[in-house]
Amino acid sequence: MPSSHSVITVRLIAAESLYKRDVFRSPDPFAVLTVDGGQTKSTTAAKRTLAPHWNESFDFEVGDNSILAINVFDKKKFNKKDQGFLGVVNIRIDPDSLVREQTYAETLKKSNSDLPVSGKVILTVGKKSQAADPRNPLAARRAQHSASNSTGSAAPIAPPSVPGAFPVTSSQPQAPANHRQYSSFEDQHGRLPPGWERRTDDYGRTYYVDHNSRTTTWKRPTLDQSEAERVREREDVREAERRQYRNRTLPGADGDSSNGSRSDTPVTVQSTSATPAVNPSVALSLSATGATTAGLGELPAGWEQRTTPEGRPYFVDHNTRTTTWVDPRRQQFVRSPGPDTSIQQQPVSQMGPLPSGWEMRLTNTSRVYFVDHNTKTTTWDDPRLPSSLDQNVPQYKRDFRRKVIYFRSQPALRILPGQCHIKVRRSNLFEDAFQEIMRQTPEDLKKRLMIKFDGEEGLDYGGVSREFFQLVSHEMFNPFYCLFQYATIDNYTLQINPNSGINPEHLNYFKFIGRAVGLGVFHRRFLDAFFVGAMYKMMLGKKIVLQDLEGIDNEMYKSLTWMLENDIDNVLFETFSVEDDRFGERVTIDLKPNGREIEVTNDNKREYVELKTEWMISKPIEQQFKAFMDGFNELIPQDLVSVFDERELELLIGGLAEIDVEDWKKHTDYRGYQESDEVIQWFWKCITEWESEQRARLLQFTTGTSRIPVNGFKDLQGSDGPRRFTIEKAGESNQLPKSHTCFNRVDLPPYKDYESLRQKLTIAVEETVGFGQE
Amino acid sequence: MSTKRINKELADLGRDPPSSCSAGPVGDDLYHWQASIMGPPDSPYAGGVFFLNIHIPTDYPFKPPKVTFTTKIYHPNINGNGTICLDILGDLWSPALTISKVLLSICSLLTDANPDDPLVPEIAHIYKTDRSKYEATAKEWTRKYAI
Repeated sequence: MPSSHSVITVRLIAAESLYKRDVFRSPDPFAVLTVDGGQTKSTTAAKRTLAPHWNESFDFEVGDNSILAINVFDKKKFNKKDQGFLGVVNIRIDPDSLVREQTYAETLKKSNSDLPVSGKVILTVGKKSQAADPRNPLAARRAQHSASNSTGSAAPIAPPSVPGAFPVTSSQPQAPANHRQYSSFEDQHGRLPPGWERRTDDYGRTYYVDHNSRTTTWKRPTLDQSEAERVREREDVREAERRQYRNRTLPGADGDSSNGSRSDTPVTVQSTSATPAVNPSVALSLSATGATTAGLGELPAGWEQRTTPEGRPYFVDHNTRTTTWVDPRRQQFVRSPGPDTSIQQQPVSQMGPLPSGWEMRLTNTSRVYFVDHNTKTTTWDDPRLPSSLDQNVPQYKRDFRRKVIYFRSQPALRILPGQCHIKVRRSNLFEDAFQEIMRQTPEDLKKRLMIKFDGEEGLDYGGVSREFFQLVSHEMFNPFYCLFQYATIDNYTLQINPNSGINPEHLNYFKFIGRAVGLGVFHRRFLDAFFVGAMYKMMLGKKIVLQDLEGIDNEMYKSLTWMLENDIDNVLFETFSVEDDRFGERVTIDLKPNGREIEVTNDNKREYVELKTEWMISKPIEQQFKAFMDGFNELIPQDLVSVFDERELELLIGGLAEIDVEDWKKHTDYRGYQESDEVIQWFWKCITEWESEQRARLLQFTTGTSRIPVNGFKDLQGSDGPRRFTIEKAGESNQLPKSHTCFNRVDLPPYKDYESLRQKLTIAVEETVGFGQE
Repeated sequence: MSTKRINKELADLGRDPPSSCSAGPVGDDLYHWQASIMGPPDSPYAGGVFFLNIHIPTDYPFKPPKVTFTTKIYHPNINGNGTICLDILGDLWSPALTISKVLLSICSLLTDANPDDPLVPEIAHIYKTDRSKYEATAKEWTRKYAI
């Protein structure tokens, strides 16, 4: 230790233009600061960047001629021989000259090993102020034995936080004790701006609450930023969100994209563009090929002919508000056995609607067949007629567009005559929306929606209510209100907050939210919200499986998986019960009748895992979820929504985002492949050729949600922080691609040609629901 | 049920105690244990006795126990709060592990630190670049806090 010493504060702000030693990935740079080879401190590692921003301060004792050495390393390679060395700078510190804080921008130098380096580090060095540092109450105590321990590392070093990045470090459990020294209005970087608060969620992730704007963010606000700048930044994000939201669509239905052209007549089916009623040339060509039985002459009154995006004509009967593939001029008759064993002929249109969950379709040879979405089966037989079996029915194929058309055509989803007025103040949107939506009956809410923002002109021809639903979804799902929280699997899909009871009114709010979601679906407005997969499954009444637990409680997921794969004899001594903490009291709850008396064995462990999974996912949010569904089902009957699977329900509620393939491609990582590889070229060719629905499905398949971060693919999150979309070379060319939703990764086998890639990818994306991959 | 499993572990510990460590509940609370580890003879912690706090969660052994040092120790994988960075207490936990196995793993962590996954990078840096200095400091701390 130097004899005459003083204490300096080194603030290592950032480094820039670091040398890129890997072609495909950027380093996780961190810096080790050493004074006179003795006192050593280090920054946290920044993630995947050549321009890390640390902004961390450290105190050192220095003598008259101390040398401060700063070594920059790649955390990912710290265990390699060269420790991922990225450069070093040495700065001579003369405490006497440090009257004012000095800023250094030093060029990084090579070490003895002669590895190439580049870039600079930027830091400030100043004398530590004499006043006691309120941020470090242990400083004095540390000084007492710092002489011997040389590092001061025993003193609590605040947990790492990478500015602007997702504050989760996987390998370092954050000790809660680290936080106790800071009030929630400050942290190791100093005070937060006025009105800001630091909070930690159930998973130990730090987030910041801005009480000025009632918003939350993962990003730490800094004092250097003025309030106006923050407002502007927030506005930019909002504008990006708005743009992304406005571009959402659904195939087959929803004609509102053409602003205000919507008539007041509550027509149940709307085409995406105005189609001429009858296109003679189309009709002619179709009749020539015999593809569809096109009729002649004029359509009956109230009928209209339209064309699906694939060019197949269909017919809208505005009288009964139904659609059919069958040309009314060529009325088809079905034969059915009459009461007197004679064969009666009756027109298809007079047989009444199909049973719930059924849909009528045509094969490419114009033969009518029926799809039962309840059982996902198809049959030649009209379910309204006595049945017979036939094996040659086309296979069930997922077809979201048709499901949407079917769904929209149901009587329960018809807009009722009259108007439903909802008037809200922008400044009090959440409460006003709550009051307005809850005071009306579900029947009133099914009338034509007329939203008005207080003090603003503008009739609601669609634009206003679209904005309303976007804004209100931001409010309802804002973690600020503790009703919903972000999932562990990323930081943007939502799940019900089990601790929402902190708000005594929470169940009323969940009912309201359910109604609002139903209202959006009913009136074809999208919500700007994406739930965890398990939530959609629960909404469909589908069975929760172990895989659904992965994003909700990863530790439990792993242990239950272990249990299934290993001999539990003499390891686990469970019964069919769980212990729950009820306000500090431990209670036993049976998972099945008398469960606490039934031991879990290797033979019955599968049932135990099922019951426990269900309990873990649905139990903590049982009441909230019930209230939510009560509200939702007031507008959308359960049997109608169940034609969809969980991924389709996500699209129905949130709409299909327009996906920028170039942005996607730009922010994709490869493992085992290179971007120039043929398979990769084919992959992107296939994506480019696909429609947005298939693209969204691929995203659901690989990332678990069709949501894209507001700022595009560069902000994609995985279960352990930022995770870019990744294509890994894995599997045999006769296998389907697999996905790892926690890591936004798809395992793509090296297919031999474009056609097999397209086919395999299509099957994987369209035919696999939930996870089923890994 | 976790109590049954914890009681079995306790009985096993009594029947076949590990040589270098001991553990047991604090008072009547089956879910709160205290443990001690003898510094391994071939390490700079030799001669020291280190105390640890063990909190067993209600859903043990589906969730790992929370183990922290209460005795100060100079080690790249143990920080000033006593938090231990050990894979089997996190990602690699499995219900087949026991408190006793966890303690034995901590013993071997004392002999063989893992500087490539450091909780305290400064100590890891010294461990890698100046081993004798690391050992001297670890010994010093052991003498000061653990004897």
